[in-house]
Amino acid sequence: MSIPSLKLNRRQVLIAALHGTAALALSGCEKMFDSLSESETVQSILASAEQANRRVQRMLTTRNKLAREFTEKDISPIFRANGNPPPMTMDYAAGAKDDWADWRLDVAGLVQKPARLSLIELESMPSRTQITRHDCVEGWSVIGKWKGVRLEEILKLVRPRSEVKYVVFRCMDTDNDGNNYYESIDLVDAVHPQTILAYELNDRPLPIDNGAPLRLRVENQLGYKHAKYIRAIELVESFEIIGGGKGSYWADRGYEWYAGI
Amino acid sequence: MNVPDEPLDLVYRHNRVTRLTHWLNALALLILFMSGLQIFNAHPHLYWGNTSEPDKAFFSIGTANDDGELRGYLQLYGRQIDTTGYLGVQQRDVAPSARAFPSWLTIPGYYSLAGARRWHFFFGWLFALNGLLYILFNFASGHLRKFFLTLSDAKKVHSMVAYYLRLRKQSPQDGEYNPLQKMAYTGVFVVLTPVVLLSGMAMSPQLNVAFNWLPAVLGGRQSARAMHFILAFGFLFFVFGHVFMVLTQGFFNNMRSMTTGWYKEKVQIKKETPRAVREIRPDIAKALREEAPPAQEKIDAPGEAQGGGETVPHPIPTNSPDARPVIALRSEQEKEKDVDPKS
Repeated sequence: MSIPSLKLNRRQVLIAALHGTAALALSGCEKMFDSLSESETVQSILASAEQANRRVQRMLTTRNKLAREFTEKDISPIFRANGNPPPMTMDYAAGAKDDWADWRLDVAGLVQKPARLSLIELESMPSRTQITRHDCVEGWSVIGKWKGVRLEEILKLVRPRSEVKYVVFRCMDTDNDGNNYYESIDLVDAVHPQTILAYELNDRPLPIDNGAPLRLRVENQLGYKHAKYIRAIELVESFEIIGGGKGSYWADRGYEWYAGI
Repeated sequence: MNVPDEPLDLVYRHNRVTRLTHWLNALALLILFMSGLQIFNAHPHLYWGNTSEPDKAFFSIGTANDDGELRGYLQLYGRQIDTTGYLGVQQRDVAPSARAFPSWLTIPGYYSLAGARRWHFFFGWLFALNGLLYILFNFASGHLRKFFLTLSDAKKVHSMVAYYLRLRKQSPQDGEYNPLQKMAYTGVFVVLTPVVLLSGMAMSPQLNVAFNWLPAVLGGRQSARAMHFILAFGFLFFVFGHVFMVLTQGFFNNMRSMTTGWYKEKVQIKKETPRAVREIRPDIAKALREEAPPAQEKIDAPGEAQGGGETVPHPIPTNSPDARPVIALRSEQEKEKDVDPKS
């Protein structure tokens, strides 16, 4: 009688010990990877892959080659919106109410001829329409039809100075802590034929959830680069003194500045 | 084992590059798998096609709220399984937390899509470059040929399965690797690895511009994402099988061969004394020639002094006088029972 019960006990003890060891090993692993994820040295080593991705992917891509454009029947029924909520300011609400009649896009920075453009002026410039796939960093994809003015047209208008390296987008939305959303792209992407400032989605004025009145489309990068609620464009040589210094709201929060992957 | 566990033949099985790339690969696969699960957690649904229409997911790991109580579930083509405690909900110190894969399976453990991506892309490069080094080196040295599945191997796969299931007495193995191993390794090399790399690349918007055929051949970007996820579990399946074989087919012998390179053969295979042994350890080679196995302690200390040409030469015809240096000690019957497949 005592032997089977001893056996059972031993078995129970062994199983419990095994469970304990496994749990300890797993939580140990978890803690190790968590602390490595918080170590700046480790992170700077891991982040070196971003430069490799940018250089290699750029090298593999013919300059100005287009992202795939889809047909009307491919358009998703709902264009999912993500990110920070629309700007909740009186100015924004008033702007949305009167179809952005008083809204202006300021284009400034290292330019020879700063500009201040209304939505009607932007709409009267040469436009481009494209049906493209929008890929969120989270993993989902939607297809939408965009109409807007090519960013290169705006750059031609303001004539950037030779030292300009980046185009910075200042946005009207803020997060819960009051940080302003901003984004930046380099000149290679800025003059790409499909890089547009969109004011229409699926043949209708850009909805508030999708960035009214004006948003960026940079089709060779993930969704978080596509700045919404743009109020100003600034041409700079370096973005180190802007925001957290990493070039965009999301880059300041650990995401890659180069979102081609 | 019916035969005394005496050393029959000591072969230098894994060259330095193979050993190094093996362990780097193991580390890369572990981190890629776990950081990949964290990335999946950001949107725990899979779809076929180009887009992810919310009602069209064929696979989801989700969290339901039943009157304040969180319940985890896995859903596949409309069928739901309760997975509370494993997937969808994890018990944390403070409160149950809604997440597809639990923290101990993800890197980082805490929710961080940005952090997981950083791990994933760094080790993605390591995995690819490490694999390239392995293939170039071992292709040049002829090592790859030893476990590449040929048509005649493919015909023997079913008899190898029968042998493992004890339905067949004799193993159909006639090289260093048995037909089933060859099939597994060849599958990993020509199917799993290329498709996992391509489906990963097909998710990159910039590479979609560079190679717009890439998501198309895989059926669209969301299909590529689904395949990438499924193939990751293909690797997990392979690793489980691999580790199981290592554990059951002579753990220490296998670990020694993957750390020092030296493996103690228990099954006689058609080949001459390894060149590495002939050149570096003439004492062992001599002992082998004299059909008298060397003493154990000599075998366990082969050292790291080998030069090039470390791989085992190709099998030579059985009628060669060198072909059966040791086997004369053993009966045909013993041979059959003592096949020792490696992982």
